[in-house]
Amino acid sequence: MTTETPTSHIPLSARRRWRLGDVLLQGIAGAAALGLAALMVLLVVEVVGQAHAALSEFGLGFLHTSVWNTVKDTYGALDLIFGTLVTAAVALLIAVPLAIAIGLFLSELAPRALRTPVGTMVELLAAIPSVVLGLWGILVLGPFLNEHVEPFMIAHLGFVPFLDGFPSPVGLLPACLILTLMVVPIVASISRELFTSVPGELKQGALALGATRWEMVRGVAMPQVSGGLVAAVMLGFGRAVGEAIAVTQVIGGSLTRPDSIYAPADTMASRLAAQYAGTATSLQKSSLAYLAVILLVISLLTNVAAQVIVRRIQRRLGHR
Amino acid sequence: MNVRRAGSIALALVAVAAASACGSSGGTTTVTKSQAGGGGDSKVLVGAGSTFVAPLVQQWEADYVKSPAAVTVTYGAIGSGGGVDQITARTVDFGASDAPLSADQAAACKGCIQIPWSLGAVAITYNVKGLQNKIHLTGPVIADMFMGKVTSWNDPEIAKLNPGVSLPDTHITPVYRSDGSGTSFAFTDWLTKVSPDWANNVGTSTQPPFPTGTGAEHSSGVVAAVQATDGAVTYVDLAYVQANDLQYALLQNAAGNYPEPGIKSVIAAAKVGTSNPDGSISLVNPPASAADAYPDATFTYVIVPQSSPKASTLKDFLKYAIGPTGQAFGPPLGYPKLPSSIVASDQQLIDKIGS
Repeated sequence: MTTETPTSHIPLSARRRWRLGDVLLQGIAGAAALGLAALMVLLVVEVVGQAHAALSEFGLGFLHTSVWNTVKDTYGALDLIFGTLVTAAVALLIAVPLAIAIGLFLSELAPRALRTPVGTMVELLAAIPSVVLGLWGILVLGPFLNEHVEPFMIAHLGFVPFLDGFPSPVGLLPACLILTLMVVPIVASISRELFTSVPGELKQGALALGATRWEMVRGVAMPQVSGGLVAAVMLGFGRAVGEAIAVTQVIGGSLTRPDSIYAPADTMASRLAAQYAGTATSLQKSSLAYLAVILLVISLLTNVAAQVIVRRIQRRLGHR
Repeated sequence: MNVRRAGSIALALVAVAAASACGSSGGTTTVTKSQAGGGGDSKVLVGAGSTFVAPLVQQWEADYVKSPAAVTVTYGAIGSGGGVDQITARTVDFGASDAPLSADQAAACKGCIQIPWSLGAVAITYNVKGLQNKIHLTGPVIADMFMGKVTSWNDPEIAKLNPGVSLPDTHITPVYRSDGSGTSFAFTDWLTKVSPDWANNVGTSTQPPFPTGTGAEHSSGVVAAVQATDGAVTYVDLAYVQANDLQYALLQNAAGNYPEPGIKSVIAAAKVGTSNPDGSISLVNPPASAADAYPDATFTYVIVPQSSPKASTLKDFLKYAIGPTGQAFGPPLGYPKLPSSIVASDQQLIDKIGS
C-alpha cells in the first residue's frame, strides 16, 4: 500500500473500520449492479420462455400476419405493429418540433424570470402518471375530439385517404395526442439541458460576429447538441412505443386494423395490458408474450441506434 | 458541460426508458399469494373473476362478514378470464366465471369444480340520441351490427323489426369486452346458435375476434364507453343496465316473442336449460316451446379447487351463497334465485370439496 503515510496517524481500530466500510461499499454496490444485470437477463429469459409456444408455432410469420383470432387460435402482430408505429410516429412528428422549441425558449429566449416556473411546469407534465393522462383522455380529450375536431376534419380533409371516416371518442387520434403529451416534456427538458450545455463563449462569439439569434441557434447551438437531440428523440420514441395504460384507455382496443385515423385501433403494449389477464387459450397468452419480445427487440434496436448515431455525430464534431 | 457529457446523459436516459418501456404493461389486478391460496387466515376468503356476478357477490361480502360466520370475503371483479387464471394459479380461494371452463382450462386447473351459483340475463344496451327505449332486435340483426354489416341505426333490417319507431341515421358503434369475459362467451354463444354468418366468421369465445367496434375493459368499462358514444351498442349483465338506467333492447326468442329481460324470462329459460357433458348448463337460445324465455341468459359459476386449505370456510360460504339468505339478494339486482334442482346438485358438488 502506497497510501499508508496519510492514514498512519489514525488509530489502527479506525483503519480497520474503514476497510470494513470499503468492503461493505464494494459488496453492496457490486451486488446491486450485478443483481440488476441478472434481473434483466432473467426477465428476457422468462419473456422468451413464455413466448416459446407462439415463437415455434408462428415463427417470423407472426410479424406479417394481421389476424388475432381466439376462436381459431391463430395470432399475428401486423395490425398491432402498425398501430404502435403509427401512434409513435405521429406523436413524435408533433412532439419533437414542439419540444425543441420549448427547450430553446427555456434556455435561450425566455426572460430569466420565466425560465424556472415554465421549466418546472414542463417537468411536472412529465411526472403526471400515465393513467391520469389516460383518464383525462377519456373524460375530456376524447369527447372534445369526437364532437368538435373530428367532424371538422372529416368535412374539410375527408378527401385525404385515412382522414375520412366516422368520429369516435376513442381511436388512433386521441392515442397519438396523449402520447404527444407524454413525449413533449421528456424531449423538452433534455433539449433545454443540451442547449444550456453549449459553451457560452461559442454563443457569445457568434453573436459578437453579428449573427442573429436564429443564426446562432442554427449555426452554433444545433450542431453542438444534435447528438443529444437524437438521443432525446429516441427516448421519446421508446416512451411512445412502450406506453400501455394511457393508450389502452383511449385507443379503443380494436381487433382489426383501423380504416381511418378516428377509428379504434390497438398497439402491442396496449393489447398486452388489455388481454393478458384472462386469456382464452394458452397459445394466446404465449402470443402476448411474443408481443413483449417484439417490444424488447424494438427497445434494444432503438437503444443501439441511438448510441451509434450519437457516436457518429460526436466523431464528426471532432470529439474523438 | 460539453457535447459528450450531454450525449452520455441522454444515452443513460435512453437505457432507462427502454427498460421502463418494457415494464409498463402491467395494470391488471392480481391478488398476491400471501393474501390467499396456501393457508393463511381461515376467517378470510379471497376470490376473483366475473364482473357479471360482481354486484351480487358484493352484497354477499357485506352481509357474510356480519353473519355468525364472520368471514371476510374479498372479491376482485377482474373478469371471468382473469378469475380462471387466478384459481388455476391458486392465488385465490375461489374463481368466478360465466363461461364454463374449456377442456384446456379444466385440465390446467387440476381438479377444479365449477358450481353454478347464480344466473342472469345478458342485456343489449344502447345509447342513441333520439331513439326510444326497448326497440326490438333479433340475434341475426345484432350479429350483423357487431360484424359491421348493419352500420346505421335506420338500416332497413332494424326498421323492419320496429314499424312506427323513428330511427335516427346515427352510425352504429359496437362496443365489446377487451378482457376475457364470460359475458362475451354467453353473448357470442347465442349469436353462434342463431346466426350461421356469425358462426362462420366469428364464433364463440371469452375473447371473441370481433371484426369491428371498440373494446373496453370489464362490464363497467363497456357501460362507460356506451354512455360516452352516441350510436354505441353493447352487451352487458342486466344488473349494470338497471343500476345505470340504460336503454335496452327486447330480443326475439325462438318462439318469435320479445320477452322483457328479467327474473321471469330468465327463469323460463333456466327451466329448459340443457346440461353439457362438462357439468355446465347452457341457457342460450331456449327452444320455441319456452314461449317467454329470454334468449340470452347464462349461469355464472364459482370455480373452486377440489382440495382447498380453507375447505370448511369455503364450503360454508358457498352453502350460504346458494342458500336462501344468499339467493335472496339476487332478485332486486336482476338475478333470479337458483332453481331448486340446481341448488340440490350444487350441494353435492360442494360436498366434494375437501382439504
